[in-house]
Amino acid sequence: MKRADVGVGGVLVVLSVLLFWYSGRYQDVAVHLYGPDLFPRVLAAFMIVLAVLLIVNALRGRSLKKEDRIDPRGFIRVLVAIGICIGYLVLTNILGFATASFLFLFVLMALLRQKGILLRIETSLVVTLLVWAIFRYFLVIPLPEGIFI
Amino acid sequence: MDWYLLLSAFGKVLLNPINFLFVSIGVTAGIIVGALPGLTATMGVALLIPFTFGLDPIQGLVMLIGLFTGGIYGACISSILVGIPGTPAGAATLLDGYTMNQKGMAGKAMGMAVIASWFGGTIGALVMTFASPQIAKVALKFGPPEFFSLAFFGLGIIITISGRSILKGLISGIFGLMLPLIGFDPLSGAPRFTFGSMQLLGGITLIPALIGLFGYSQVFQGIEKILILPSVKTELKNLIPKLSELKSVLGTMVKSSLIGVFIGAVPGTGTDIAAFVAYGEAKRASKNPERFGTGVLEGVAAPESGNNAGAGGAMVPMLTLGVPGDAVTAVLMGALTIHNFQPGPMLFTEHPEIVYPIFAAMILAQFVMLFVGLGGARYFARLINIDRKILTPIIFLLCVVGSYSMRFSFFDVGVSLVIGILAYFMNYYGYPVSPILLSIILGPMVEQNLRRSLVISHGDPTIFFTRPISAAFIFIGLFIMITSYYRVRKAMEKDSRKATG
Repeated sequence: MKRADVGVGGVLVVLSVLLFWYSGRYQDVAVHLYGPDLFPRVLAAFMIVLAVLLIVNALRGRSLKKEDRIDPRGFIRVLVAIGICIGYLVLTNILGFATASFLFLFVLMALLRQKGILLRIETSLVVTLLVWAIFRYFLVIPLPEGIFI
Repeated sequence: MDWYLLLSAFGKVLLNPINFLFVSIGVTAGIIVGALPGLTATMGVALLIPFTFGLDPIQGLVMLIGLFTGGIYGACISSILVGIPGTPAGAATLLDGYTMNQKGMAGKAMGMAVIASWFGGTIGALVMTFASPQIAKVALKFGPPEFFSLAFFGLGIIITISGRSILKGLISGIFGLMLPLIGFDPLSGAPRFTFGSMQLLGGITLIPALIGLFGYSQVFQGIEKILILPSVKTELKNLIPKLSELKSVLGTMVKSSLIGVFIGAVPGTGTDIAAFVAYGEAKRASKNPERFGTGVLEGVAAPESGNNAGAGGAMVPMLTLGVPGDAVTAVLMGALTIHNFQPGPMLFTEHPEIVYPIFAAMILAQFVMLFVGLGGARYFARLINIDRKILTPIIFLLCVVGSYSMRFSFFDVGVSLVIGILAYFMNYYGYPVSPILLSIILGPMVEQNLRRSLVISHGDPTIFFTRPISAAFIFIGLFIMITSYYRVRKAMEKDSRKATG
């Protein structure tokens, strides 16, 4: 995991330095001795030390072995799923929660290659109705409505 | 310990059919969540919290407690039946439970697991009920330095124990401490790190963050790697072990329960560690330790009573001190805060009307679990066969709904998703997620008490060491951290020697 460790360590160092510097703007707001800048700076300092240790460890070859690899095709599936989710969030306001949720479930199951289109329709329908009913009648929490419910 | 309040709380929970129903729903849902690999009790509680918003606080909380109880037991179902733990708490049970299954004794293993869980859970609930008020009384004397040291203690332990690399655990922990910095600084009123965004003024909302850490990350893993589990075709017969067998494991159960409560009560260590330590101790103290692993009843009884007892134990520091005993209690703490109850010693003096029903619910939940577990074993067994291609999208939907419902905010959904993606990668690169959870919860406690203490002492940091309780927490914490570090180092070296030698 050497490259990952060095990469993450590097990013952490940069971000922590930025954090340290940015916290400086809160210095004058300090009412007491130790103001809103204290903790962020302490944390940033710790993080820099840790990140440097991580990089050093990695360069000395003492990184842990990767226990599990990310499956590339699976990862693309995840990205697509996130895209589907974003689409769902947009559609919820246009089509309404229940309709969008039904589509969301249906498309996700299709993405995972779930066999049996009838079962897919049934399950998406039942779950959507259940969740919608619980929120509408039981908890009385409003969900977005659009053209449909 | 106010007996009148406790008994009337029992009455409220037992005799009111709605409350009783909620406990039962919680327990059943918990068993299901615990039994399904890929769903954890922590995730279950985090996802259920938004569903409790419209409910009366007692109804919501007793349901969550039921879910906690059921979930810790449910983990053993898939451990025993398919050899994969449903939740980390059930990992130790598979050592003997799965072997018993392979020898055709799955029914007895399941039955033993329920009974042991009930036994341990009841002991844990009783300890929680009777010890908490006393501890709260002591905690009333705590001041800012004590709370700081306590938070330091809890964080230190979870960092040292989790994951394969303490360095990465520390990085997770420190990162988690940074997240609550966004938003209003309570001590000075200044908004921090909001970059002009209105949405960030309130900071990162807790429940969406939890759903991100434990919900979305698991969903993404489930989408990436579509798990195919061996299907369960075992016939479950003869669930209840013979009386003589039960008598023989009684001693083990008692000891494991006490170990479990104690470990659960230590902030940061939870039900999974309790299960393993209870198993290890039962094996060590046994007259025939070599039989452990071949499918002996004690090998199931010990971890199952240990982990359920640990659940009760973990509630103690959460309720009395506001420091969660494990991940699930950390989420439960969030639930209490949402309903405007602040966990900590003041909870006992200001809101006994919520504390005693919690005690009653915990005790009641054990009995509900006993009946539901024994009665429903066959059905739960078949539940494991659910197609994950159907389950994963459903959980995804619940995550979205859950992260939205806190503030009716799509922004929260977005934050939750981002944290979920982060946690997903963290899991692959060896960064443990538990320290982030505890840090998010304890972070504000750490910072505010640190600053308050320094104000009290006029900038003198020795205040943490001159006050006895505070010093005790710091030193015991450091001691445990250092010894854990060496133990982990030794174990890692032993592993690498085994691999090369």
